Amino acid sequence: MAVANELERKVKLSAPIPNGNGQPQGGGEVERQRLRTMLLIRRFEEKTYVQYTEPRTLPDGSKEMKIGGFCHLYSGQEAVAVGIAAIFKKGIDALVNGYRCHGHSLALGMSPRAAMAELFGRATGCSKGKGGSMHFFDKEVGNHGGHGIVGGHIPLGLGFAFAQKYKKNGGVTYCLFGDGAINQGTFNEALNMASLLKVPAVFMVENNGVAMGTQVERHSAERDLAKRALGYNMPTENVDGNDVDAVIAAMTKAAERGMRGEGPTFYSVNTYRFRGHSMSDAMKYRPKEEAEKAKLRDPILLYSEKLKSRGLVTQEQIEAMEAEVQSEVNQAVEQAEADPNPGLDERFDDILAETYPYQPK
Amino acid sequence: MAVLQLREALRAAMTEEMDRDPNVFLLGEEVAEYNGAYKVSQGMLDKYGPGRVIDTPISEAAFSGLAVGAATMGLRPIVEFMSWSFTWVCIDQIVNNAANVRYMSGGQYKVPVVFRGGNGIAHQLGATHSHRMESVYARIPGLITVCPSTPAEAKGLLKSAIRCDDPVIFLESEKMLNEKGEVPDDTNFTIPLGVANVERQGKDVTILSYGRPLQRVVRPAVEALVNDHQIDVELIDLRTLRPLDLHTIVESVKKTGRCVIVDEDWGYAGMGSGILYKIQKPCFDYLDAPIEYVHSDEIPVPFNHYLEEAMMPSVDRIVSAVKDVCYR
Repeated sequence: MAVANELERKVKLSAPIPNGNGQPQGGGEVERQRLRTMLLIRRFEEKTYVQYTEPRTLPDGSKEMKIGGFCHLYSGQEAVAVGIAAIFKKGIDALVNGYRCHGHSLALGMSPRAAMAELFGRATGCSKGKGGSMHFFDKEVGNHGGHGIVGGHIPLGLGFAFAQKYKKNGGVTYCLFGDGAINQGTFNEALNMASLLKVPAVFMVENNGVAMGTQVERHSAERDLAKRALGYNMPTENVDGNDVDAVIAAMTKAAERGMRGEGPTFYSVNTYRFRGHSMSDAMKYRPKEEAEKAKLRDPILLYSEKLKSRGLVTQEQIEAMEAEVQSEVNQAVEQAEADPNPGLDERFDDILAETYPYQPK
Repeated sequence: MAVLQLREALRAAMTEEMDRDPNVFLLGEEVAEYNGAYKVSQGMLDKYGPGRVIDTPISEAAFSGLAVGAATMGLRPIVEFMSWSFTWVCIDQIVNNAANVRYMSGGQYKVPVVFRGGNGIAHQLGATHSHRMESVYARIPGLITVCPSTPAEAKGLLKSAIRCDDPVIFLESEKMLNEKGEVPDDTNFTIPLGVANVERQGKDVTILSYGRPLQRVVRPAVEALVNDHQIDVELIDLRTLRPLDLHTIVESVKKTGRCVIVDEDWGYAGMGSGILYKIQKPCFDYLDAPIEYVHSDEIPVPFNHYLEEAMMPSVDRIVSAVKDVCYR
């Protein structure tokens, strides 16, 4: 219990949470770092797109897909991941989300190399090449993945928050899912139980307006997704998911409520997905004008302009950051290409934590 | 040694482990205020309070997933399902989450959770409440599947399951909860997971079984075979269905040259057919007869008492199968 008390002190509510009110602190370094992380995520995703579509020629002349399987890009939603990362207490808080998990993982500090290597299926990947695009995990920081079954991870978020309450460690769980997931039974079951148990969870739908290729108005009987949590006796609000500061402010409010023992909060964090659902999706269901309009509210553009207008960053600094993150991402690709595949025998590893007298292979 | 009902043995296992480790907690439908739908958790709310004995809504997906999440955070949840039949609605949580998270994360997470509850055909509960889920779960890499056949086993295996760092599927039978047997009082008494028990040594034929059919029909059949037919049966209680103790099984079948598997599952792709696949190759050169599999009829479980009885393995069916493999 001594450990719990120590943690409680560390995260006591009076401790300042960085920049929940949009006001610059410390000469803008924190803000520039956030902008840089958003740029890193964008460059990482766009580079991933290229890697996915360009097969590699092997020495014997045959072609190999660099990135196999499904791949769901996060471009356009960076403000959400960076907003949460801004208040996330590493090692104490927990984050869990669906399969669109590259951005959150990078925002929480995963190296682009571990992320890209996982996409390439390499042994150096964040999940040793056994998880892939949909299953990025980083236990040390409290990143509980990347889950491929729509809505299937929402009860896990309930469980993380339950454990935080049980251990009284002051942690908060950020449980994210796409708008498609709110039509799963797990969403309703988990929110109901979270409210009954008053666990410190922030449930948020990253509402990018379309579940795979089905627009919100065609998949949700209620278009205002914040209202979908009305039956569960918890605060529920819409949040501008393209505005980092709005995300930080909302999450701070919900986290503080959770830490005070008042239970979960629900947000519909409204944003836009610049790419298709997955790599095979040409987004024919979205009119060009809509996509063009959405680009005017590109979260990176909005944040850059805001920081520039406050004198916290210059265009030159932004360009330098762009060059830096681009080089970081290029290097991640080079490293991932050179990294080894897992040894074939390693396919039997990491199934069970214990050993048993007879264990089948 | 005390003589306990199987439900009391389960309760003893849970309370001893909750006393030992503050990270262990129990949750499920009616486990707290109601003292358990089948009174397995009677008195536990009073002893441990609502923070550790937790009533849930009828939301299997939410509370089984809660347990998986809590386990990855270092707690050791015990989930009580009133019936394993209800887990059809939360298999996603057990398979995609409990069993897969460790592997998908490259071994970063442990998932020390126990899912327990009544499994199999009970007493006139009809098709929806009578499922035998062992073949569903025992085929999943990443899960440990356990099935006790006596109160002592229930206690020893459940204590091991709670201490285990892997997710454990613990299959009881509500029809067995009243069964009494001698159970060690020792709080350190455990039965290792993954090890079968040679319950009776014999030289003519090996019978493999587990759980309630072992208790209900196999033991009486063995008595009849030994006493009335002079067939010296070697009886193996499998105890753990995954990982299967193939070593003990194969050594026995090599010795006797004959094997009969008995369970209450459906035969096609049932638990026994999986075991049969595992042993036919290592035992082929030693077998004097094809392996027999006595299982339930391949029908939904009927409500009518006589039909329900008729669909299940019986003493007669087992005796007949054993005589077949012994060419008697």
